[in-house]
Amino acid sequence: MPVPDEVSAPFWEAAADGRLVLARCSRCETFVHPPEPVCPHCHHTDPRFAFEPAPTTGVVRSWTVIRQSFLPGFNVPFTLLDVALDGLDDLRLIGRLAPEGREPPEHIGEPVHVVFEVPAGGGPAVPSFVLSEP
Amino acid sequence: MTGFAARSKVAVVGCAQSPIVKHHDRPLGALAVDVAREAIADAGLTVADVDGFTTSALLPTAGDHPVVDGVSTVSANWLAANLGADPSYVTGFQGYGQLPGAVALAVNALMSGAADHVLVHRALHNPAGRYHGSAQQQARGAAQWTMPQGYFGPIAMIGLPTNEYFQRYGATREDLGAVVVEARKNGARLPWSHWHGSPLDLDEYLAAPLLADPICRFDCDRPVDGVAAFVLTTAERARDLPNRPVYVTAYAGAQPSRHRLPLHWPLDDIAEVGAATARQLWERSGLGADDVDLPQVYDGFSPFVWFWLEALGYCPVGEAHRFVSGGGIDSDVLGALPALSGGGALGSGRMHGVPQMLECYLQLAGRAGDRQREGARVGIACQASPHFGGAVMYSSEVM
Ligand SMILES: [Zn+2]
Repeated sequence: MPVPDEVSAPFWEAAADGRLVLARCSRCETFVHPPEPVCPHCHHTDPRFAFEPAPTTGVVRSWTVIRQSFLPGFNVPFTLLDVALDGLDDLRLIGRLAPEGREPPEHIGEPVHVVFEVPAGGGPAVPSFVLSEP
Repeated sequence: MTGFAARSKVAVVGCAQSPIVKHHDRPLGALAVDVAREAIADAGLTVADVDGFTTSALLPTAGDHPVVDGVSTVSANWLAANLGADPSYVTGFQGYGQLPGAVALAVNALMSGAADHVLVHRALHNPAGRYHGSAQQQARGAAQWTMPQGYFGPIAMIGLPTNEYFQRYGATREDLGAVVVEARKNGARLPWSHWHGSPLDLDEYLAAPLLADPICRFDCDRPVDGVAAFVLTTAERARDLPNRPVYVTAYAGAQPSRHRLPLHWPLDDIAEVGAATARQLWERSGLGADDVDLPQVYDGFSPFVWFWLEALGYCPVGEAHRFVSGGGIDSDVLGALPALSGGGALGSGRMHGVPQMLECYLQLAGRAGDRQREGARVGIACQASPHFGGAVMYSSEVM
């Protein structure tokens, strides 16, 4: 389960409320995921990231079905999606396809939206994705 | 930036390699000292002549394994001390593309005069237990963004861009299998290989269960214990040594340019930065893809073969799977591109770039025995992903 730290705590608090927030550099206003000590976009050394509401829809860029997990606490198989959030071209999230047991996508480019799930092994809610109905 | 001053100024003059096995019955460090002595003797030198040591000591593994110098890893400092050398330059490469990185450090040391003879070694250890397994329950730091979702380890990492390639370009498991079958065919012919005498056919490949779609265990090189060492010196000194020198024409290293989640390698990042890696190699060498007889592409995961073939320009982006399936890299076909003739990692074991460098050296030095490929003049030894690793070009002639 995630261990929130000084920087990431707002992300996990919002996730517990079912809200997706992402770090935004207060210097160049770029959404950055994950946040780093130096802004990877403008390279400011004091980026003062603010966690702001992020788009909750996106498209599938790739996926893989995990059939053997190398971590404890995961029921296999499950599908992981590589998702580009709408309007944030160069930012990707990786999350599970919900609900458990759902068949993987058929094509790249399928629309998805964010949901929050408590993992099988317990712990805080994490962002996952549901395939949007066309 | 001024021109690359090291072209053909440094040569590989000798080498040695241990057998590549699942587990050696001796500590890795003891094996490394023996292999280093053998390589130095092969170059016609003594330990007293060797004053430079470079390596990349990265174990590496994703699992929870302790790192102990001389046992699970062998640093350049450890090796120099335990050989009883009196070195003037000892260092390690910290990035990926470990062997090209260590060779580049050796070239720079020889060009600067910091050392006269440099031993480059690579020692790989296969820890007992699951190589990638982790009992970790808590995800701190960078891992908190991916581990809670179950995104963990290199097999999931390579699953995403490989499926992206499948979906975009219509590649199939049969196409990926063709890569593995070629590597294992060549590896089966190498007496030192973990897979000696053990080729794989496509039916066996297709019967393997998937680990992370579309990756199965045959797409992943097998973790092994093994050590290789190469001796490098200046082209001038190389003239007086017993083996035919193999010149370092150029080296290149990749610099990932986009900020990503840990272990996230989108296909476009691989292609974009891979093309830049190749450009650097062509610019520094003054040569192009058509001048290369032996591009030994990296294959720690089978799809890397496609990514490198495309990065180096042997196929348009999205075409490498058809090229390989059509016999394009068949080492037994005259006129094909023998891109895995040295068995690669899939056909030798997880030696992290050693099979590629060794094949370049043996073929270009005329020391490949009954596998000798007549007329081979230029080779490239690649390692890791084209957007994360590196490559070294070698030549049998001063270019
Ligand atoms: Zn910024």
